[in-house]
Amino acid sequence: SLMSGTLESLADDVSSMGSDSEINGLALRKTDKYGFLGGSQYSGSLESSIPVDVARQRELKWLEMFSNWDKWLSRRFQKVKLRCRKGVPSSLRAKAWQYLSNSKELLEQNPGKFEELERAPGDPKWLDVIEKDLHRQFPFHEMFAARGGHGQQDLYRILKAYTIYRPDEGYCQAQAPVAAVLLMHMPAEQAFWCLVQICDKYLPGYYSAGLEAIQLDGEIFFALLRRASPLAHHLRRQRIDPVLYITQWFMCIFAHRAGLGPPLSHFSWPHDRSVKIIFRVALVLLRHTLGSVEKLRSCQGMYETMEQLRNLPQQCMQEDFLVHEVTNLPVTEALIERENAAQLKKWRETRGELQYRPSRRLHGSRAIHEERRRQQPPLGPSSSLLSLPGLKSRGSRQKLEKERQKQEK
Amino acid sequence: MGNRKEEDYNFVFKVVLIGESGVGKTNLLSRFTRNEFNHDSRTTIGVEFSTRTVMLGTAAVKAQIWDTAGLERYRAITSAYYRGAVGALLVFDLTKHQTYAVVERWLKELYDHAEATIVVMLVGNKSDLSQAREVPTDEARMFAENNGLLFLETSALDSTNVELAFETVLKEIFAKVSKQRQNSIRTNAITLGSAQAGQELGPGEKRACCISL
Repeated sequence: SLMSGTLESLADDVSSMGSDSEINGLALRKTDKYGFLGGSQYSGSLESSIPVDVARQRELKWLEMFSNWDKWLSRRFQKVKLRCRKGVPSSLRAKAWQYLSNSKELLEQNPGKFEELERAPGDPKWLDVIEKDLHRQFPFHEMFAARGGHGQQDLYRILKAYTIYRPDEGYCQAQAPVAAVLLMHMPAEQAFWCLVQICDKYLPGYYSAGLEAIQLDGEIFFALLRRASPLAHHLRRQRIDPVLYITQWFMCIFAHRAGLGPPLSHFSWPHDRSVKIIFRVALVLLRHTLGSVEKLRSCQGMYETMEQLRNLPQQCMQEDFLVHEVTNLPVTEALIERENAAQLKKWRETRGELQYRPSRRLHGSRAIHEERRRQQPPLGPSSSLLSLPGLKSRGSRQKLEKERQKQEK
Repeated sequence: MGNRKEEDYNFVFKVVLIGESGVGKTNLLSRFTRNEFNHDSRTTIGVEFSTRTVMLGTAAVKAQIWDTAGLERYRAITSAYYRGAVGALLVFDLTKHQTYAVVERWLKELYDHAEATIVVMLVGNKSDLSQAREVPTDEARMFAENNGLLFLETSALDSTNVELAFETVLKEIFAKVSKQRQNSIRTNAITLGSAQAGQELGPGEKRACCISL
C-alpha cells in the first residue's frame, strides 16, 4: 500500500536512518498492518487477530450507532461504553473518534474554516519550529517517510492551522506526533478538528505555555501511584519527578517512541475510554517496566531507573495484555477528579495561582455531549434549518466561545 | 580516550545538553555515545539520555548525558533535569543567528537551576555548513570568554570536534573534582555542589575504594 514516490525517497534516505535502521532492500515494500515499514515501532503484524465474522458484526453495530448517534449517547450510553471497551473496529476508528470527540459536529459547524486557516499567513515564529519538526515524527511510517511527502505536507497544514485557530496557544512540539497519528487515520481537515477537541476538551492546558496541566497531571498520577504501589516510594527517594517520565507518555498520548508507538497508542487515547485510560495505561507501564521494588534496588540512581523505564517490556506491547491489565485498575474519573482537587489545592498553597483553568477537562464523550447540550439546547422540529451554517447556531457558538475565552482569562 | 566496559567506572558525571530546538543536541548525543548521526532524528519531547564511559588518565568516567527539549515551552519542566548536573553543553546552530541570540537566556536558566560550579561549554554546532554561517567564530568565542565558558565549534554530521567537546568538559569536571577531593581529603563524600547532587551518587564516586587518582 505504498504511495508512489515514497519508496524512492525512502531508499535514498536509508543510509541516514541511524539507529533504527532495520530495513533494507526489498523488505521496504512491506508495511505491517499499522503502516510501519520498520524501525522500533514496526510490529511485524500483518493482520488482525479477530475472526472476520466477529469483526463484521462489530462494524455493523457501530454503523448503526453512527446513524442514530445522539440517541445512543443520551439514552444508551452504557452500551456505547461497553462497545468502546470491546474495541472500536479499526476500519471505523477514524469515524468513531470523530463522533466520540464530537469533532464531527465541530467540522460541520465550521465549513470552510480549515481552508481559511490554511490560507492565513501564520506567525513565522511558529511556522519555523513546525517546519523543523515535520521530518522528525514517524520517519518509518509510510505516510511520513518521504521528505515533503503528502504526510508531512498534511502535518504542516494541521499544525499551522492550529496556531492560527488558537494564537494564544501557538504550537507545542508534542502536538506533532498526536496530529501525525490522527493523519494515519483520517484526512487533514477531520484530523484538525479532532486535534482541536483533544487540546480543548480531553487534555486542556497540556500544550499551553507553562505546561502547568502536565505538571499537575504528573502530581495526580503520582498520588494514584502512591495508593497503588510501593514503586512511588522508590521514585521519590531517587528524586524522580513525575514530569521526568510522564511528559512523553501523556503529551504524546503514548504515541512517542518511548511509549507504545502509533500501532498501539490508539488504545490509550481518550476517545473510546475517557481520559482515565491515560492514567491507567501509565500505571500499567510503570509497574511492568520497573518491576518489583527488589528488582529496582539494582537501579543505583535516577539514570538507571529512567533507563529501565525507557525500555517497555514486550509484554506491554500486546494489546490483549494491556486490555486485561488496564480493565481491572480501580482508577475512575471520580478518583482522578478528587486527586485533581487535592493536588490543585497543594499547588495553590505552594506555587500560587495557575495560568490555565484546571477545571476544564472533559473526561469522555458523555461529558462532551452533555456540555454540547447545555450550550445548544435541543431545538424544535425546524432546528435543521436553524443549524445551517451562517444562521443562528454559528453566531451563538461564536458568542459562547468568546465568553469561554473571557472566563479563562 | 578509549571505551571501556560500561559497568566498570570510578566516576559518574551528569552532563546536560541545552539550547534551542533543532540545533542538533540529539545528534551530538548520538554521535558521542553511539557514533551515529540521523537526519530524521525525532523531536525530543521531555528528555532523552545516553551514557558513555571514557578513560581520563587512569580513571574511568561514566558520562551520563541528558538531552533536553529545546522549545521554550518545555523550560517549565526541564529544570527537573538539571538537578545534579556537573556539566553542560549549551548548543547553538551557527547557521541560525537566532539560536545564538538567546544563549544568554539559556545561561540564566541553567544557573538558576543547576549548581553554581557547573562546567559550561558554549558549542556552535553545524560547522559543516560553513557557507551558511550566521554567527562569526570570534563573536561566539568572545562571548564565551567574557562569561567564563569553554567554547568549541562542532559538527555532529561529520564528527568534527564532537569527541573533543565532551572530552574537554569531562576533563574540566574531573579537574574540579580532583581539586575538591584534595581539599576535603578527610571526608568521604565528594560532591561538586550541594548535598542534592551527592545524594544520587551523581557527580561523586561510585564507591570510595574505586578512586584511583
